[in-house]
Amino acid sequence: MSQIKIVRIHNELLGTYGDQGNAEVLAFRAKFHGITTTIVDVNYNDPLPTNGDIYLLGGAEDAAQLLSLEALRRDDNLEVLNLAIERGAVILAVCAGFQIIGNKFWANGQEVDGLGLLDVVSTPGDKRLVGDIKTISTVLGFELTGFENHMGRTILGPTAEAFGKVVTGHGNGDSKFDGAVYGNIFGTYMHGPILARNPEFADLLLTRATGRKYAQITDPLASKYASWRRKVIK
Amino acid sequence: MRLKIAILIAKSAGALSRILLRKSGETIPGRVLLIIYPKAITELAQNRKIICVSGTNGKTSTTKALVTIISKLGSVTTSPTGSNLDRGVATALMRKSDYAVLEVDELHLSRVINEAKPALVLLLNLTRDQLHRMHEVKRVAERWATSAKAAPNTLFVGDIDDPFVALALSAATQSHSVSFGGRKHLDGAVCPSCGKYLKWSKNNFKCSCGLTNISPDELFEPGTAALRNATLANVAGKLLGGKAIAIDEKSLERSVDREYKGVKANLRLTKNPASWGEALNSVVGDDVVLIVNSREVDGIDTSWLWDISFAQLQGKRVVVCGERGLDIAYRLHVEGIEAEVTSNFADAISKFSSGSNVHVLAAYTAFHELINA
Repeated sequence: MSQIKIVRIHNELLGTYGDQGNAEVLAFRAKFHGITTTIVDVNYNDPLPTNGDIYLLGGAEDAAQLLSLEALRRDDNLEVLNLAIERGAVILAVCAGFQIIGNKFWANGQEVDGLGLLDVVSTPGDKRLVGDIKTISTVLGFELTGFENHMGRTILGPTAEAFGKVVTGHGNGDSKFDGAVYGNIFGTYMHGPILARNPEFADLLLTRATGRKYAQITDPLASKYASWRRKVIK
Repeated sequence: MRLKIAILIAKSAGALSRILLRKSGETIPGRVLLIIYPKAITELAQNRKIICVSGTNGKTSTTKALVTIISKLGSVTTSPTGSNLDRGVATALMRKSDYAVLEVDELHLSRVINEAKPALVLLLNLTRDQLHRMHEVKRVAERWATSAKAAPNTLFVGDIDDPFVALALSAATQSHSVSFGGRKHLDGAVCPSCGKYLKWSKNNFKCSCGLTNISPDELFEPGTAALRNATLANVAGKLLGGKAIAIDEKSLERSVDREYKGVKANLRLTKNPASWGEALNSVVGDDVVLIVNSREVDGIDTSWLWDISFAQLQGKRVVVCGERGLDIAYRLHVEGIEAEVTSNFADAISKFSSGSNVHVLAAYTAFHELINA
C-alpha cells in the first residue's frame, strides 16, 4: 500500500489540546517511507469515511466530548469504526477521545456509555492532573513523553493492556500506567501532540496501518527533539 | 486592624522589595495587603468608579487606551504593568483616585467583580490560552457568566462575536453588546450556553437556545484585533461619559520597535493561537525571529503550537530561539519550513545583517524581557 487515508475525527470538537498535529506528523513521516497520504477532516455532521486507514481522536472539554460521542453513535458511524477495526485499521485516541472509545466515562457530571471499542472505564478524580508525563511504552519498549491535562481516572478491563508504564506524571490516574491498547487501537492521555514528541510511535502506526515494515527514517531534528524531551522530563 | 495601618505596612513591604530585592515593588504591596487585610479590595473600591478590562488578548493595551479616555473625566489609578491578578488590583486601589481602570486576569475577574462592584466591565475575547492553568475555555466562560449574573448594578460591555463574551453579556442584567460583523472562533464549535453544536453561517452564530451575535447594540466594520480593542475602549469610554480618542492601531498591537547593532527589530507579543494568528498576518518582510518559552505565564505546555498555521512564513528566513525553540522548529519542519535554531535572542538577531528589518514574535516572558532590557 503506497497510499493511506488518515481520518481526523471531529477536530473542531476534539481539538482543544493541540492533538490535530498527530495527523500532520503521520503524513510527514509517511512521506519518508514513500507513502502518500490524505488527511480527511470529519466534522460533527459528516459521516465517517468507510475506507480510513488511521482514525484519530483528540482531547476536548466535556460538552464537546458529548457532542462527538453523539455524532459517532449516529447513522452507521459506529459500524464503520467496528468494520475498520476488523480489517486492521489503526485508531489513536487521546484524552477525551480515549474516554469516548472506552466502555464508560463521565462528562458534565453524568456517567455515559462510550463506544466500547477499548475495554476501559473512566471516572472523574478529585484533582486535575496537569503536567509533563513520561512513560515506557509496553508496545514500543522505550520512553515516550507528552503533556497531560485531565480529570480522568481510567481502569482497564481484562481485554485491554496498558499502553505505557508511567515514569513521571499520572497517566490513568494511579501514576502507574498510561492509556490502553488492544490490537491496533491505542488510547492515551498524552498530548504534545504525542506523535510530534515521539515520531517513532507515528512510524509504528504507519506500519500497523499498512502491514509493511519500513526502513528507519533519518530525520535529525525529529530525533533531537524527541530525545531532548526524554532527557529533560526526569 | 484598621485599613490605613494595613496599607502602611503593605507600602513598606513594597519599598523594602524595591530596595532589597530590586524588584519593581508593584505586586508586593497588594499581595501583603490582601494577606493582612482580606477585605481590602471591597473597602478600597468604595466611593469611586471601578472599570475592569478582561479577556485573553489585548487587556494591557485596551486598559491603557481606556485610561487615556477616562483621565479627561477625573483622576485615574490603573494596574501596575503586567500585574493583573487580585494583588495587582489591590496595589492599584491603594492610590486615591476618582476612577480605577483595572486590567484583570480572566480567572481573577470573578473575585474582582464580587468585591470591587465595578461600574463597567469590558470583555474583549476568550480563546484557548495557558490551558495548564485555565484547564478549559468553558470553565473560564462559566465563571464570567456566573459573576455577571450576580452583579446587577454593573454594565457589561463586550465583543459578542466571541460566543463566550456573548454568554457573559446574556447573563448580565445590564449589557451593551458590540459586533464587528462576526468572525470565526477556534473554540466556537459548541454553544457555551446550552452545549449544542453551535450553528454558524459564515462568520455569525445563532443557537436554538438564543445565543447569537446577530443584532448587537452597536455594529462596526471588521478589523484587526488591535482595531477591535481600540473601538471597544472607545465604546466603554463613551458609556462612561468620556470622549472617544483617535485610534492608533500600532500602539495597540503590543508591538515595539528596537534596534540591535543596526538590525531594526519589530517586537510583537505572541502567546496563544489567536495572538499568533494576528501577528503572523502582520509579517510583511522576509526576516523573522520566533521566541517560544514555557514559563507559567507563557503556558508550561507547547501543544498549542500545532493549532497555528505558519503558512505565512513559507519562503522567509526564520530563526528560532527560547526555552522551547526546538518545539517550534519541529512544528515548522513538519509544515515544510526549515528554521535555524539558536540558543538565545542575541544569537538569533546576530544572524541578520545591519540594516535589515526583522519581525520578532516573542512569547510573553521573552517579550517583557526584551522591552525592559
